[in-house]
Amino acid sequence: MSNSPLSKSIKTLLTGLIPAVALASAVSCAGTSGEQDKKSESEDTPKITGVGTPIKESQLAKWDISVFFDGDNLPPGKGTLTEGEEIYQAQCAMCHGEFGESVRGYPKMLGGSMEEYIETAKHNENNVAIRGINNHWGHAPTLWDYIHRAMPFFAPQSLTVDQAYSVTGYVLYLAEVTDGSVEEIDADFIKSVKMPAADLYYTDTRPDVHNKRCMKDCYSGEPEIVAKQIKGNVSVGDVDK
Amino acid sequence: MKKETSSEEVTAANEAPASTTRRRFLGSGLAASAGAVVAGSSAATALATAAESAGDEVLEIPASNKILGRGVVTVPYGLPSKFEADVVRRNVEWLTPDRAASISFTPLQDLHGIITPGGLHFERYHAGAVDIDPATHKLAIHGLVEKPLLLTVEDLRRLPSHTAIHFLECPANGAMEWRGVQMDSVQFTHGMISCSEWTGVKLSTIMEMVGVKPESTWFYAEGADGSALQRSIPLPGAKDQFGKPLPEFDQNEIHKDVMIAYAQNGEALRPENGYPIRLIVPGCEANMSIKYLRRIKFTTKPLVTYQETRHYTDTTDDGRIRQFTLVNEANSVVTFPCPDKHLTTPGYYEIRGLAWTGRGKVAHVDVSTDGGKNWKEAKLVQPVMNKCLTKFTFDWDWDGKEHIIMSRVTDETGYVQPTLKQLREARGLNSLYHKNSIQAWRVLATGEVENVQLPTV
Repeated sequence: MSNSPLSKSIKTLLTGLIPAVALASAVSCAGTSGEQDKKSESEDTPKITGVGTPIKESQLAKWDISVFFDGDNLPPGKGTLTEGEEIYQAQCAMCHGEFGESVRGYPKMLGGSMEEYIETAKHNENNVAIRGINNHWGHAPTLWDYIHRAMPFFAPQSLTVDQAYSVTGYVLYLAEVTDGSVEEIDADFIKSVKMPAADLYYTDTRPDVHNKRCMKDCYSGEPEIVAKQIKGNVSVGDVDK
Repeated sequence: MKKETSSEEVTAANEAPASTTRRRFLGSGLAASAGAVVAGSSAATALATAAESAGDEVLEIPASNKILGRGVVTVPYGLPSKFEADVVRRNVEWLTPDRAASISFTPLQDLHGIITPGGLHFERYHAGAVDIDPATHKLAIHGLVEKPLLLTVEDLRRLPSHTAIHFLECPANGAMEWRGVQMDSVQFTHGMISCSEWTGVKLSTIMEMVGVKPESTWFYAEGADGSALQRSIPLPGAKDQFGKPLPEFDQNEIHKDVMIAYAQNGEALRPENGYPIRLIVPGCEANMSIKYLRRIKFTTKPLVTYQETRHYTDTTDDGRIRQFTLVNEANSVVTFPCPDKHLTTPGYYEIRGLAWTGRGKVAHVDVSTDGGKNWKEAKLVQPVMNKCLTKFTFDWDWDGKEHIIMSRVTDETGYVQPTLKQLREARGLNSLYHKNSIQAWRVLATGEVENVQLPTV
């Protein structure tokens, strides 16, 4: 930790949290040794000991189920498209639709084609409603992760690892990301799937607008003013789902 | 006879609409003190009424002077006055298919300072609120650390404490207005923000305890609710899944203020806000401040999880998808007058509002009453703090004519809150999140206030 770039700032922060009286007394106790006097204050502050319980990674096996975009931490196991269809139609279709088309506003599995998605975006046509796994999801392993950790909505973490492989495989098929030719779904298969939108992502480039702090005569003429522009209850789409 | 009359008057007063009651109080010579605390529009009505009624009328003694009031602990945990019953969180039923994965809005129009009362903090659930016993709850800190640790809530309360006031804002705040005017209410245009005093333990304290290894460039946090919500948070050296470095601010500044909170406004967290412990990632989109926190893992890469690839991402008009838009950029809104709080008679009003930025402190707020042609600097109400709501005020003499009122914040980095036109030109119309453009309210000659957009300037 002493070589960590974070170490210095953390120690400074820690020092700031120790009452001045405690620091002064620590310094005076160390005063008998010239060598100790040269030590920084942070090294004289009491260490935090005796708080918390050491734990082994193996004890966290049931908790540490997070799967990374590249498939890291995908567990051993396998499922089938046939089992995936059974589970999906029984536990998922009532919200996501028999064909992945969505019911009652829940998210689509199969959205518009990648081409349609990009074209609508470029022409500012509302494409929120056509978003799906096939056009707005970067990596198949995190689809497995989400299904395994949070689905079905009413009974999260009720699917076994094998069932999660089955459902993920079936959802990728429903979303037309895969062609259904592979019956057995395992970690290697999930890692091999290239999501259509994978290369469309880019990390934050904001600030992307640069307004000026104009104070006087900031524009001329009369501006267009619109009120109640949207009639009826038009959702921006799946803000929450 | 007299006693009976008092009793009836008290009953009547208790059941009367708030405005009637307020006028009665003000008419009793309490104008100065009551006027200072009631909502602006009511105050204006009351002052006008007081001025008009300054005739020869001899004021009666208020009924409340003639009764014995309630004793202590009649209400063991205090509640707002019954006359404030309309000051509540609200949701928009058609916005989401299920309340367990939805959002409610803070009534900004009825709040007078920078602190949001615990019961009015906006709610955002991905799988509903849960009740967790602090006696059994555990937090695991592991991954690239020298000493993985399991911490109880009691352990956390024993450590050096940290207290700070920070806002939490959902990045969807304002999203319903991207394509046009929809919500005639500041509660619904801007109410996905709240601000609290948080107390807990700084992440840096925990990092020192477990000995985070220098190769750690990210950590992720996970909740103990049904969504097991997880988000990746950058550390110095953080790169995305393509190997591209995160923005400098995200790498170097975000983690410095991160804390694990067990208290909100001096009391334990509310269940709606993550009881018994939650992460607070100040300045960033609030879903990163993982509620019901159960695990933090230090890593060398981000998860790019559901929330980072499907959900909290924005489609831009180049056909691409912007990810890791972590910081909430500077934003402001006038909370009085607003569509929820109208004006009454011409004359003096104090325009009031809130400003904030995820990149530090608010530096200036300017107010325009002519649709953004001319601006004057507003007064900032102290304290002005890091990643915290800042209140501003602006003296205004309303001439009784139509006006368009706006506020515009500049933060300490020099960033100036953009216009709607600028945002749309930069991102197109399919962006949902991080809509922080200047909000316009139109004050009509009647005193009514409505939500408007000026898309061309």
